[in-house]
Amino acid sequence: MNETQLIAQVIAGDRLAGRALYDMHASRVYSLAYRLSGDAEKAREFTQDTFIRAFSRLPQFRGDAAFSTWLHRIVVTIVSNARRSEIRFAREVSLEEAHSIEVTAPEADPDLKECIARAVENLSDAYRTTLIMHDIEGYTHAEIAGILGVPEGTCKSRLSAARAQLRNDLAAFKE
Amino acid sequence: MDENRFDEVLRDLPQSFHNPPEPPLDEMWGVIEDAHFNSPASVSRPRGMSSRASWLAAAAALVIGIGIGRYAPLGRTVEGAGASPFAVVSNESLPPGADTSAVGDAYRDQTSRYLGQAAALLISLPAKDSSSNADATFAGKAADLLVTTRLLMDSPAAQDPKLRSLLEDLELVLVQVARLRGGKSKEDLDLIHQAVEQGDVLSRLNTAVTTQSSE
Repeated sequence: MNETQLIAQVIAGDRLAGRALYDMHASRVYSLAYRLSGDAEKAREFTQDTFIRAFSRLPQFRGDAAFSTWLHRIVVTIVSNARRSEIRFAREVSLEEAHSIEVTAPEADPDLKECIARAVENLSDAYRTTLIMHDIEGYTHAEIAGILGVPEGTCKSRLSAARAQLRNDLAAFKE
Repeated sequence: MDENRFDEVLRDLPQSFHNPPEPPLDEMWGVIEDAHFNSPASVSRPRGMSSRASWLAAAAALVIGIGIGRYAPLGRTVEGAGASPFAVVSNESLPPGADTSAVGDAYRDQTSRYLGQAAALLISLPAKDSSSNADATFAGKAADLLVTTRLLMDSPAAQDPKLRSLLEDLELVLVQVARLRGGKSKEDLDLIHQAVEQGDVLSRLNTAVTTQSSE
């Protein structure tokens, strides 16, 4: 049974077809969710939400893009929205609380891995998503453009800017 | 860090940055299966769509339908279109041989008008702080546009993949604008501007407006 037939079966309520469709894509969706969130529990929740949302919207999937593109677009959107909420919440933490966190934080020189993680986190959402998808998860520019809904040229310029910012942020690091 | 070392860092990123563990496939599937296949409501209706939202969507459909009715040129009235606005909107519901060009024109007019309003709203969003009154005005306009966005997403207009993708991104941005409230404007506005930038929304909107008007 091919993917189109599986999709039709899932719409008809066939859970075995659902599992087969899930098995075809779940690992890559989870991997991207983990890279974008850096947390196994969140990656699990994001993956679950992605498939629940995708299955409920399958009747609206018209096949204009590949199913995987459509699915990855959902996971990127879910993670982006969650990150925005987290940022909003973090900004609402009172100065007093922020101070106490600062005081109790351990003082140690961060290693390279930590510096890289911090530098990637500091990138804007658009740059960060593009860098993670291209340089870490190995998506092509065409795939990223399809998933994010932007032209390939925009995707390339974002990657270039993301690398430049990363290089700049890591320039001062001494091993 | 020199250039060569940085290149190495880039090459090693797949191993050094948030290297994912084995995915708990069966565990995740259990939750998905339960939510989708064991809950009929979640199959038929997207999550988060409240009955109030459905009611609002129906009301907005009526408004759009009336708008399309007004815009359909005289003398090109669609025979047998019935009273429901969706009967007017959807070409599939028309009898064979019916003149569908009036519907197409009317639909384009509505979409074009909607895109123009969305562009105007996003362009006029302040970059930084705004007053509570201004927030409430933007939130109100965004909520109105959000209903139209969702209707268009379920309409023949969304058959164009580019327009559909734009509508999906607009939906996300408008949800955030609709939640704008005084006092937290700066943070919220920053996030909205980020979302607009990430999806390249404004330039795609401009392209879509130009395309719709020139057709």
